[in-house]
Amino acid sequence: MTALSGAASLDSLKETLRHRHDRRGGRAYVLARWAAAGLFVAVLLGLVVSIAIDSSQAIAHSGIGFLWSGTWNPAANQYGAGILVVGTVVTTGVAMVIVVPVGLGMAAFLSELAPRWLAGPLSMAIDLLAAVPSIVVGLWALLVLSPVFANHVEPFFKSIPVLEWLFHGPAYGPSILLASVVLAVMTLPTVVALSRTALSGVALADREAAMALGATHWQVIREVVFPGARSGIAASLTLAVGRALGESIAVAMVIGNNPSVPHSLVAPGATLGSAIVNQFAEASPGIGTSSVIALAAVLLVLTLAVNAGGQAMLRGMGPGRPARVRKTRVAQ
Amino acid sequence: MSRAGDSVAVPAAAGDLDESQAQLGWAARERRRPIIQAAARRTLRRRRLAGKLVQALCVLCAAIGLAPLVALVYYTADRGLPGISLSFLTNAPVPEGVPGGGISTAIAGSAEIVGLALVMAIPVGLLAALFLHERRGRLAAGIRFGADMLTGVPSIVIGIFAYALLVRPLHHFSDLAASFALAVLMLPIMIRADEEAMRTVAMDLWEAGVALGARRSRVARSVVLRGALPGLVTGNLLAVSRGVGETAPLLFTVAAPSFAMTLLIYTDGTQPFPSDQQTAWATALVLLMFVLILSGLARVVAWRLTRRAR
Repeated sequence: MTALSGAASLDSLKETLRHRHDRRGGRAYVLARWAAAGLFVAVLLGLVVSIAIDSSQAIAHSGIGFLWSGTWNPAANQYGAGILVVGTVVTTGVAMVIVVPVGLGMAAFLSELAPRWLAGPLSMAIDLLAAVPSIVVGLWALLVLSPVFANHVEPFFKSIPVLEWLFHGPAYGPSILLASVVLAVMTLPTVVALSRTALSGVALADREAAMALGATHWQVIREVVFPGARSGIAASLTLAVGRALGESIAVAMVIGNNPSVPHSLVAPGATLGSAIVNQFAEASPGIGTSSVIALAAVLLVLTLAVNAGGQAMLRGMGPGRPARVRKTRVAQ
Repeated sequence: MSRAGDSVAVPAAAGDLDESQAQLGWAARERRRPIIQAAARRTLRRRRLAGKLVQALCVLCAAIGLAPLVALVYYTADRGLPGISLSFLTNAPVPEGVPGGGISTAIAGSAEIVGLALVMAIPVGLLAALFLHERRGRLAAGIRFGADMLTGVPSIVIGIFAYALLVRPLHHFSDLAASFALAVLMLPIMIRADEEAMRTVAMDLWEAGVALGARRSRVARSVVLRGALPGLVTGNLLAVSRGVGETAPLLFTVAAPSFAMTLLIYTDGTQPFPSDQQTAWATALVLLMFVLILSGLARVVAWRLTRRAR
C-alpha cells in the first residue's frame, strides 16, 4: 500500500467516523457537557448579581457607611453591619483559639501517638461526626450546655484573676462565648479529620531519616511531620474559618441576639448570620429586607475573601514537603 | 566537638565523619567519645522529657476534643429516644398541648426537598465534572476555582439567593425554591468530588477509548464513569448527607417549619414548652441517625467497591 492511498484511506476513515459521530448524536453529549458547565457559571454569576442588586437599595439608603455603621435599629430605619461584622469575627476568632490547639493536638494524637487499635476506630468516628448537622449542635448547646455555662463555666472564668476583664458582666448562658464553643464543636471534627489525613500522608522515609539523625519522637513530629503536612493543615483551618464565619442557625440559637458592642465574652451578641436569621422574618418590606440581604452580601464578601486568601496561601506553599531541618538542631 | 544546647550529637554529614576519622588518630577519637556521649545523654534526657510532656498534652487535647462530641451524641440519643415511636414517625404534627402527633410531614418534606435537589444537582454535577475532566485551559480552571469558592459560600447566603430568585418574584414559598437552594449548595461539592474520582481513572484508558474511534459519550460512560464509580458514589453520598442537615437555606424558602426536619428542630427547640423540646430532640435523633448512616454508607461503599476493583 502506497503512502498516498494510506493517507486517502485515513481520510475516508475520518470521514466515516465523523458521519457516525453526527448520526448517532455524539454531539448531544458534548453539548450537554457545555450546557452543564455553562449552567454552573450562570448560577455562580446569578448568585453574586442577584444579591448585589437586591442589596443596592439598602446601600442607597444607608450609604457606604452601612459597612461600618454600628447601629442596627429597624424601628428608626437605621441599618449598619459594623457591629455584626465585629461579632462575627470575634466568635470565629475565639472558636479558632479553641479549635487550633485542640484539633491539631488531637490529629497528632490520632496520626502519630495512639496505638493502632485505638486510632483506627477513633479516626473513623471523627470522620462520621464531621457530618453532624449544625442544627443538632445548636440544639444541644441551647438545651444542655447553656444552663451549665450560666451556672458553672462562666462564673469559673470570672473567678480567674487575669482573665476576669474578658468575662465581666452577668452570666445568662446564651453568650458570645457559648456561640464560639458551638462553632468550635461544629468545626472540630472537620479539622481533625483533614489534618490527620495530611499528617498520615507524610512519607515514612522522611520520618526515618529524622530518627536516624537521633531525633526523638516529638522532634520528628515537630520538625518533619507537621512541616510536611502544612498545606493540608492550612487547608483544613481555612475551611474551618470559612464555615465558622458563615454559620447562622446554630449561632442564632445560642448567642442571645443583641446587636450591640460586645463588651465581654459572656454578654449576648450577634453575628451577620444570626442577624439574618432573626431579622429577616420581621424586616419591613423594601428597605428592611434589602438591608438584611445587604448583610448577606457582606457575609459573602467576607467568606470569599477568606477562601480566596486561603487558596492563594496554599498555592504559595506548594505541595507538602518536609521542611529543612533547622540548623541549630544538628551539631557542627 | 558537639555544641551544647539542644543539639543532636551526630556529625552533620557522612563526609565530615570520614575526614575527621582520617585526621584524628585512634587515641584522639577515644578521648572525644565520653565528651560526645555525655553531651548526647544530657540533651537526650531533655528532649525525651519535652517529648513526654507534649505527648501528654496531645492526649489531653484528644480527650478535650472528644468529650463534647461524645456528650453531643449521648444527649441527643438520651433525650430523643423516649420520644421515638412508630406513631411519632407516621403521624402528622399537632398543635402544642394536644397529645400524640408526630413528624411524618417533616420527614416526607425533607425527603421531597432533598430528592428534588438531587435530581437537579447530580446530572449537572456529573456533566460539569466530565467537562473539567476532558478539558484543560482557562475556562476549566475558572470553573474549578468557582466551585471551590461556592463551596465556601455560607448556606444562609445561598438561602437568600433562592429567596431573591424564586420566592419573591413568584410571591409564595415553595419546596422547589428549597430544592434549588440545596442543589446550589451541593453542586460544587459534587463537581469537585466527581472530578477527583474521575482523575483516578488513568488518562491512557480515556485516550485508548477515543483512539478506538468510540464516541466521547461512549468513552465517558464505559471508561470514565465506570472506572470512577466508587469515588462518584462516595462523593455524592457525602454531599447528600451535607444537604440533608442544612437548615439555613430552607429558612426563607419552605412554607412552614413542619415541612422539613431541620426547620422543625429549630422552631420546636427554641420553644419553652417541654413537649416541643421533646419533639425537637426526637427529630434531631432521627436526623442524626439518617446523616450518620448516609455518611457511613458512603465510606462502606467506597471500601467495598475499591476492593472489588482491585
